[in-house]
Amino acid sequence: MKGLLRVMSPFAPDQSGAASVFYDMNAITVICDAGGCTGNVCGFDEPRWQKNARPIFSAGLRDMDAILGRDDRLVDKLRLVSDKSDADFAAIIGTPVPAVIATDFKALKKMASKRCGIPVVTCECTGTNLYDKGEEMAYLELMKTFTRDMDVCEGRVGVLGATPLNFSDIEADKLIRKHYMEEGFSEVLVYGMGDGLDSVRMAASCEMNIVVSASGLAPARWLKKNYGTPYRVECPFAGEAAAKAAGVLKHSKVLIVHEQVAANSLRDAMEDCDVTVATFFTLDKNIANEGDVLVETEAQFIELVENGGYDAVICDELLRRAVKDGTYGIWINRRHFAVSGNLEEGLCEL
Amino acid sequence: MNKQDAFYITARDLADGGIEGVPSELKSQDHLIYSSPAALSFNSPGAQGFGVKRAGLAVPGSVMLLVAPACCGRNTTMLAELGSYADRFYYLLQDDTDIITGRHLNRISQAVKDVADFHEESTGTRPNVVMICITCVDALLGTDMDRVCRKASEYAGLPVLPCYMYALEREGRVPPMTAVRRTVYQLLEPREKKSTTVNLLGHFAPLNDDSEIYELLRGIGVKKINEISRCEDFDEYLGMAEANFNIILNPESRLAAEDIAKRLEIPSVELTRMYRIDKIRKQYQLFAGAIGAKIDDSKFYDEAAAKVEAFARENKGKRVAIGECMNADSFELALAMSEYGLTVTEIYGTVSAERMPYIKMLAELSPETRIYTNLEPSMLYYDSSELPCDLTIGIDAGYYHPDAPNVPWNLEVQPWGYNGLIRLIEEIEGVL
Repeated sequence: MKGLLRVMSPFAPDQSGAASVFYDMNAITVICDAGGCTGNVCGFDEPRWQKNARPIFSAGLRDMDAILGRDDRLVDKLRLVSDKSDADFAAIIGTPVPAVIATDFKALKKMASKRCGIPVVTCECTGTNLYDKGEEMAYLELMKTFTRDMDVCEGRVGVLGATPLNFSDIEADKLIRKHYMEEGFSEVLVYGMGDGLDSVRMAASCEMNIVVSASGLAPARWLKKNYGTPYRVECPFAGEAAAKAAGVLKHSKVLIVHEQVAANSLRDAMEDCDVTVATFFTLDKNIANEGDVLVETEAQFIELVENGGYDAVICDELLRRAVKDGTYGIWINRRHFAVSGNLEEGLCEL
Repeated sequence: MNKQDAFYITARDLADGGIEGVPSELKSQDHLIYSSPAALSFNSPGAQGFGVKRAGLAVPGSVMLLVAPACCGRNTTMLAELGSYADRFYYLLQDDTDIITGRHLNRISQAVKDVADFHEESTGTRPNVVMICITCVDALLGTDMDRVCRKASEYAGLPVLPCYMYALEREGRVPPMTAVRRTVYQLLEPREKKSTTVNLLGHFAPLNDDSEIYELLRGIGVKKINEISRCEDFDEYLGMAEANFNIILNPESRLAAEDIAKRLEIPSVELTRMYRIDKIRKQYQLFAGAIGAKIDDSKFYDEAAAKVEAFARENKGKRVAIGECMNADSFELALAMSEYGLTVTEIYGTVSAERMPYIKMLAELSPETRIYTNLEPSMLYYDSSELPCDLTIGIDAGYYHPDAPNVPWNLEVQPWGYNGLIRLIEEIEGVL
């Protein structure tokens, strides 16, 4: 049955992805919910929160707010916070409640910007989609609202798609910066991790963008279309991870189940293996190989693993629960925080 | 963000203003809810204890089908890693069309049957009941869950009950944790009463084994004391219907007790967890009077009194900050600590009409005590250096004063009565 999970747990939802992008942006982030979604975002999907809490708020919606559509009350509450804050902007993120009552986010954005006197961005998340959709929506909303035409600055590179949900590491941005500085860039802007709104404002000045996870594809394309910025798609560190796997998996038939860009990069580095990439998240046809799989149900995943004839499966170890333990070859853990909610101890670990 | 001060009000000013004068900053409906680690248990009760999903599985042999958008089940990944819950959570995820049209309702009966069959196949045991947990979406759609559960029950051939995780109604007439406390007793059916059996209602984990309440109840002739969390199997759970009376230990169980009284004709009496030793004694006396028995608690009282006396002597004047994420009422505990000679500098709590009597007494003893709420946006600017303390009680208080010794006091096994007081003092002594 579609949507029925008997052995797996739900993955990080779109509102968690959107909140993750805004986390380091000096924003007032308001999750338009009754409280539970905020609890999930902060208490489970945002690993930076325990160490470094940010101004994230729940709208604290109650039944009559939803039934009567009292957006004005939400704006009043936001103003109480924004009046005393030097945040660069406010971000309002949707959840199932506004989705059910069909909140007009465009109107909400306009009304809140006017009343609060600061820029407001909105992400029409529904809680039914996955985190990468929320990240994509947040990047696009930021770029469309704040990025302005600028001269290209040689040596400056933008990184799209770096969040703890993708990289399972709260300091991935540092490693990413180091990686691309060593490659020869003089300035690395990691949107949403470590870099604030200024990086978004000057996104058009990058000589190149690097898409490190699938959520960065759409904003990279938007930046290319509007400002001509070229981009390339790759997940750094995959080579080292693959090298570790290589000793075990020579000439094997391998299934990699992960976020698409990470999985692709791992495959690229495992030249002597026959690798299929599968993902529960975005499968962009433009960067997929023939035979790559978009997994839409738990049953499909089980079928793929049990009957695919793979010698090895590389994925977050939580997914192993779905199949009969130990029956289907070698399992190698490649953390994916959006799946298990567990952090990687080191990015290159397998 | 700009530096500003976190909002607080002194106990004196709060008491002077009365419940009508409670400032807007202390009313959660008047502002955005700040999400800090100290507020996590408000936003997501299940993150650090029993929320609706975990509570709904209190019935032995139950499994849960969460019918919701994926986001509502996300933190259940954490629960699924706990041994006793690993095979008990199932999900029927709603998509965009479902949450608008309600078409998911047509799939629930089949999903319940699939889940029951799968559970039987994988564990060798058919579930005793399938709990269907629904969320804000169905609250807004106005789903008639009683009907949905009846239909699913007929189709799957086993009991099916609704658990309402309606965060939108947390301050309504029947908040989610009140509703789930009623739900978990709904499978009880009338049985012949046994005068020597009593149920303790209110918690999803048992009281400490050495709580005096067990001995005191046995002392008045009670032979069987039921707690849902101690029921080894479904038969033992069903045996709760034989109780002569229920003791409510948490106000959120009042509705459950009313329901049980109506359906099973079991009356109830309510007791309150307190830390003021004289009030504990007084409550036992009143309880004895209410049930027409005589309770001799002097052994326990004397032990606790000696402990309190030594504690007060040793710790007089020590500054303590008290939170609300713990097994105590913030204001009652603050009052107790003040009576024992400590200086309560700060309370992070939720003001309500029921708590005003404590606040008024506290204002007499400790008028300068600062009262904050974890949920107010200005808590973003809370600065612990303004008013240092020697001790914090509650995990939220520990969050605000990370350098002070902390007693989290939030274990799942529940403290009670004199024994709870002694345990708390021993924990405090352990960290000071």
